[in-house]
Amino acid sequence: MKRSPCIVLLLLVAGVAVFASSYVLAQRLCAKHSASSTDDLAWLRQEFQLSATELTRIRELHDGYLPKCGELCQQMAVKKHELEAALTGATNVTAEAGQKLTELAALRVQCQRQMLGHFVEVSQAMPPAQGRRYLAEMQRLTLGFHEQIEQSMSNAADQPHGHH
Amino acid sequence: MNKQPLNSDADGLASLLRDARATPSLPPRFQENVWRRIEGGAVPNLPSDAGGWLEVVVGWVWRPRRAFALAAVLVLAGVGLGWSQGEQLARHEAQARYLAAVAPNSVR
Repeated sequence: MKRSPCIVLLLLVAGVAVFASSYVLAQRLCAKHSASSTDDLAWLRQEFQLSATELTRIRELHDGYLPKCGELCQQMAVKKHELEAALTGATNVTAEAGQKLTELAALRVQCQRQMLGHFVEVSQAMPPAQGRRYLAEMQRLTLGFHEQIEQSMSNAADQPHGHH
Repeated sequence: MNKQPLNSDADGLASLLRDARATPSLPPRFQENVWRRIEGGAVPNLPSDAGGWLEVVVGWVWRPRRAFALAAVLVLAGVGLGWSQGEQLARHEAQARYLAAVAPNSVR
């Protein structure tokens, strides 16, 4: 029996609509359900299957770390403003700007060191296998960006420069 | 009345007409072709292109029970995929929230 192309098309559209509406609805419901948690540590709890005791210990570490991190961030923000001020209108890297750069870099190193120290502490509050995974993941997420830049720059440096 | 000569004439005419009718010869492999066409008509048209396949699929789905089953499969597949995607998105957002709290952008 030959059916009208319109009916075939209608069936196809109906099938796609049924699938797409189910997909979108489920995705939104799931996202809404999961987004109801505003806890910073929700990811840790889910991803590393932490017990209530481990989570409590990690929350203490987290709450202790945040003010220290915030203080260093504040110092870095101030230093950045000072650097911007030193560079405003300058056509060269002045001694003052160089000094501010050095101070900013020192603050950044201090902040990174503190951050990595916190990650180590948190990892030690987890079961050993999960702790190793957490530490590796956090290093990848926080230091990986620099690795990518360094890798891309070292690749670029390997390319022979053209002589003009 | 003499009917005998009339009957004799009619028989002669019929015989003459029979002999005069041309009986065309059948084309080669006529019988075989006829059977092939009969067999071809017994099974549904085999799809030869995309439109044909579509026609077969629609024909299969045309029954109410199969249509409901297909709709149920589509809903289940959509819900499953959507939920899985939603979970991934939620996990990504939760990870970003944690990272934003412990690792400011300036040190990443």
